[in-house]
Amino acid sequence: MTHDPFTVLGLEPRFDVDLAAAEVRHRELSRALHPDRYQGKPAAERRMALERAIEVNAAWRALRDPVTRAEALLAAGGVELDERAEPKASPALLMEMMELQEELAEVRGKRDAVGLRRLGDTLRTRERELCARLAPAFAAARGDAARLRALLPAVGELRYLRRFFEAYAAAEEELAA
Amino acid sequence: MAYSDKVVEHYENPRNVGTLDKNDPAVGTGLVGAPACGDVMRLQIKVDDGGVITDAKFKTFGCGSAIASSSLATEWLKGKTLGEAETIKNTQIVEELNLPPVKIHCSVLAEDAIKSAIADFRSKQAARRALGAEPVTADAAAAHAGK
Repeated sequence: MTHDPFTVLGLEPRFDVDLAAAEVRHRELSRALHPDRYQGKPAAERRMALERAIEVNAAWRALRDPVTRAEALLAAGGVELDERAEPKASPALLMEMMELQEELAEVRGKRDAVGLRRLGDTLRTRERELCARLAPAFAAARGDAARLRALLPAVGELRYLRRFFEAYAAAEEELAA
Repeated sequence: MAYSDKVVEHYENPRNVGTLDKNDPAVGTGLVGAPACGDVMRLQIKVDDGGVITDAKFKTFGCGSAIASSSLATEWLKGKTLGEAETIKNTQIVEELNLPPVKIHCSVLAEDAIKSAIADFRSKQAARRALGAEPVTADAAAAHAGK
């Protein structure tokens, strides 16, 4: 990615970005860059508009997901996202995520829609709380690489939660069928 | 991204999925995670009196490559001594499964899981010795004698 998603959408870089405002911005820019508006324009201009439209879409996608949003802030602060160098999760967190995944597999196997929803609600609350803690931490780091690096374990936890939600979405789809 | 045939094969027919009793003194459990993608992997080994791995099970929540890497690891572990198991390298897994560069971390995760299962088994054996119980395996006895 050449530009960070906040810059692309012209928004202030913060973890608790106003997603509604970001969506409006995405819509406006997408409309302005639509190929229909560039009909009859020189090829180079058309191509640039298309590239920019792709960038705008990618930026909106990145901001919607708390993991990629966090990663964008880390990258902007000069924190290299090297998967091998990231801090390892605590054994307690790994154990917990393993148990949650197993619980999910169990309710999925039993086709227990109520249990599934309860599990999803619990984890969504947890993700919300984690994000609520991350927002002031990102703000306090003020783009300082060392302080941002200290947030890597929490960002890692967000990724474990995201993996859970992927499996959750698949289970939800299966039970709805 | 296209997966290699071998990855797809392990993904569709994973070997040795399951759980061993983690409280069994002959069982070592390795639990590892990849913070970069959120994969979690549990790999367990059961070791006999001669220090040979008689059974291996895994459970992985992650991408196809992570599942294939751990599935392959359990296949390789069975029948090996702990010493042999320790020599398994992630690069062997990469080679066997034709993993692309972006998926190398999955093989690293599997190697970590093997090492951490062995370490767990050994520390359980050491704890038993400390409590006066006889070491369960020759490997543990050898490790003990070597200290």
